[in-house]
Amino acid sequence: MTEEPILSMSHVTTVFGSGWGRRRHVVTAMDDVCFEIARGETLGLVGESGSGKTTTGAVALGLRAPTTGTVSFDGAPLGRRRDRIGRIQAVLQNPQWSLNPRLRVADAVAEPLTVVRGGRLRDHREAVVAMLDAVGLESAFADRFPHQLSGGQCQRVSIARALVTHPEFIVFDEAVSALDVSVQAQILNLVKDLQAEHGFGALFISHDLAAVRYLAHRIAVMKSGQIVEMADTQRFYGTPTHPYSRQLLEAL
Amino acid sequence: MTSLLEVDDLHVRYETGGQPTSALDGATLSLQPGETVGVVGESGSGKSTLGSVIGRLLPPSAKCVQGSIRIDGVDVLALDTRGMRELRREVLGFVPQDPVGALDPTMRIGRQLKLALGDGSGLLTDLLEQVQIADPQRVLRLYPHQISGGMAQRIAIAMAMARKPRLLIADEPTAALDAQVRAEVLRLMFDLAASSGTAIIWLSHDLNAVARWCDRVAVMYGGRVVEDGGSTAVLEAPAHPYTAALSAANPADVVAGDRLVAIGGAPPVLHGSAEGCAFAPRCPLAIDACTTARPTVVDLGDRTVLCELVGKQHPAAPPPEIETIREAAR
Amino acid sequence: MSVVLPIRRRSSRVRSGRESYEPAFWIAAGILALLVLATVVARLTRLGGDPNATVGMRLAPPGSPHALLGTDNLGRSLLPRLLQGIGTTLLLSSIAVLCTAAISTAIGIVAGYRGGRVAELILRIVDVLYSFPAIILAILVAAVVGPGQVAALASIVLVTVPLMTRMVGAGAASVVQRDFVRAAVISGVGPVRIMVRHVLSNVSGTVAIQGTYALSVGILVEGALSFLGYGVQLPHASLGLLIQEGSVYMVDAPWLIIAPGCVLVLAILAINVIGDSLRDRFEPRETRRLT
Repeated sequence: MTEEPILSMSHVTTVFGSGWGRRRHVVTAMDDVCFEIARGETLGLVGESGSGKTTTGAVALGLRAPTTGTVSFDGAPLGRRRDRIGRIQAVLQNPQWSLNPRLRVADAVAEPLTVVRGGRLRDHREAVVAMLDAVGLESAFADRFPHQLSGGQCQRVSIARALVTHPEFIVFDEAVSALDVSVQAQILNLVKDLQAEHGFGALFISHDLAAVRYLAHRIAVMKSGQIVEMADTQRFYGTPTHPYSRQLLEAL
Repeated sequence: MTSLLEVDDLHVRYETGGQPTSALDGATLSLQPGETVGVVGESGSGKSTLGSVIGRLLPPSAKCVQGSIRIDGVDVLALDTRGMRELRREVLGFVPQDPVGALDPTMRIGRQLKLALGDGSGLLTDLLEQVQIADPQRVLRLYPHQISGGMAQRIAIAMAMARKPRLLIADEPTAALDAQVRAEVLRLMFDLAASSGTAIIWLSHDLNAVARWCDRVAVMYGGRVVEDGGSTAVLEAPAHPYTAALSAANPADVVAGDRLVAIGGAPPVLHGSAEGCAFAPRCPLAIDACTTARPTVVDLGDRTVLCELVGKQHPAAPPPEIETIREAAR
Repeated sequence: MSVVLPIRRRSSRVRSGRESYEPAFWIAAGILALLVLATVVARLTRLGGDPNATVGMRLAPPGSPHALLGTDNLGRSLLPRLLQGIGTTLLLSSIAVLCTAAISTAIGIVAGYRGGRVAELILRIVDVLYSFPAIILAILVAAVVGPGQVAALASIVLVTVPLMTRMVGAGAASVVQRDFVRAAVISGVGPVRIMVRHVLSNVSGTVAIQGTYALSVGILVEGALSFLGYGVQLPHASLGLLIQEGSVYMVDAPWLIIAPGCVLVLAILAINVIGDSLRDRFEPRETRRLT
């Protein structure tokens, strides 16, 4: 029995317009994008800046409505945020700015829980400490502020925050791009382990084909809003078919 | 023949309000005329500081507390303002990380180039043609926000190479560029440098890329150069445990199905000189002596390494293989 | 979503803790504290004399018996009136700035968070207000409300709200761009909670800094209005009013204008220095001077 994919995009096109009349400038950020992500699977989305992968992430998270096409989460169209709080989360790029500099780590991680379970930030201490432990941070980190943490530690906190509501789907948007190589390796391993343990589906967006290749089960390559190639990761360890994919691979 | 550049045991400290941070903790690097070296390092390694200190382009809070920098035998740290200005103008060239950001957004490109180079526009078009920009007349009239990153970087390279400097310092010049453009820009930079005999220092975080293009590789960690040798030699058989770990942690080198080898911890931020080896806390091969004694430079013939372990081994013994690092890290 | 920056920006230095204030800050703070202390003490203990009592000769120079700073045209000692004036000026301006802060922060945060046409509209309206010369606005208010302390307060608020709203709005807009706000939106946190928990806490520095500048503007506006006769009225005293009284006798009794004038300048300087120090601390900019 095949399960329903956790997230699917069907002929999604997203167009941005600015200006008026003759000066109107239209950008097609997503052009007839189709893909499905099964539960527990990671789809890697690779492309350069301007390829539309960022917009794809925003649409997948429900932050932006597509112009045409449907986005489905767990079989149903992506409706109001209230119906799916806590089930979709994200880990974003900038480690330092992903966390509110005025909030302690414990509060930052607890916030999604207050939305799902109610209560105040302080009430969820236990769950927070458990999640910090899961991402490899000692409980002492709970009372620190982001400026006291390194980039890698900040990103671990972001991951803890994303995971604390046990979501079924996580979007990683350039989550390791701002990290040093040695720290990046730690975080990649962490994400891999966490996915094996918690079974969330993931969309891993990056311009770095090597990092994507390590984590993803399947890879989609985007250029100018279109998906030019989509295949199992195995293919990308050899020679991809599309010339653009080959270019990205050669850059390694 | 004197070296073009000789940085000797340089210590640079940033003194901002709270605790002072040591950006360079005894960095040593030398460069021959026309040679290309890639300086590889992560945060806190000091590579950006090293690139900037050569031209004395650090903010006032940075102080060189020990060591020397010599270019063509001249002591850079002792130069006066006039001498420094001349050095920057005639001998050094800089290619920045963010080319569009390095240009003044309120001036047309032609005007900026003229300001920077003080030449007539005829020579400017030649300059732009040299960096393979088609239709240079049109580009000279554009503003920085109207050109692509790749073109901006070419212009930056043109500006840097205009006076045929002896030394070109490129700070992650391809970081802001798309993959397709990267190779072209690098090819351009190295070709121009080769034709005018300019030496290149390329600051990067990417060991593989640097090894592909440069004659030499210098790996930095904790404000010191921990390994310095020929690119192929260092890449194929890294001698310093950090270089080996860096190589092993790169997802581009991982074989399908293998696990990425990640070393725990993070690059250090030094407050003052390190007492032992800066990498010791994270090194899988560390021994007691590593934390108590500052490592000394060991000459292995094809490279120099800053490691107590390598020093203690018999000089003829082969350096630790990547596999040993992998095993020790598991 | 955040724009993808392929530039690898790695923090090469961990911030080593907040820096301490410069000596200039402490001197300015000390001066201000002294002024406040002097006026409070004067109000409570009548130290320096009774502002309304005649103590001797009219227009007597400083150093006369019972009049440390001289007397005015009614024979009243200047010192107690000056102390009273400082108090009125500072109190009035402070209350006005607090009102401004409350209004501007609320409007600015909502405008910055919402963005789009609503924000544009709000900012345009605020700009119209900003385009009025301060003194015209102040006189207009006095004409509507009637001269007095209320007029002074209202005009300070109207004059200082535009700039602070703009600054807070800009600050809020930039905070809203940051990933932690996006993360909160993704987690499903409500807009009000986001504005309070995430945006407000991060623009509070801007509010404090702009508040100090608004305070010095407020003092000047009150001073000008009172000088023109539309602000603080007799028998109360304010720095502006004292300067106006002194200006009549400028040639014969210069101390009547010099003393309040100096205090005014000192107060504004001190407040501006404090504002600059706060700005340097909360919004530091590294100046790259070549070594």
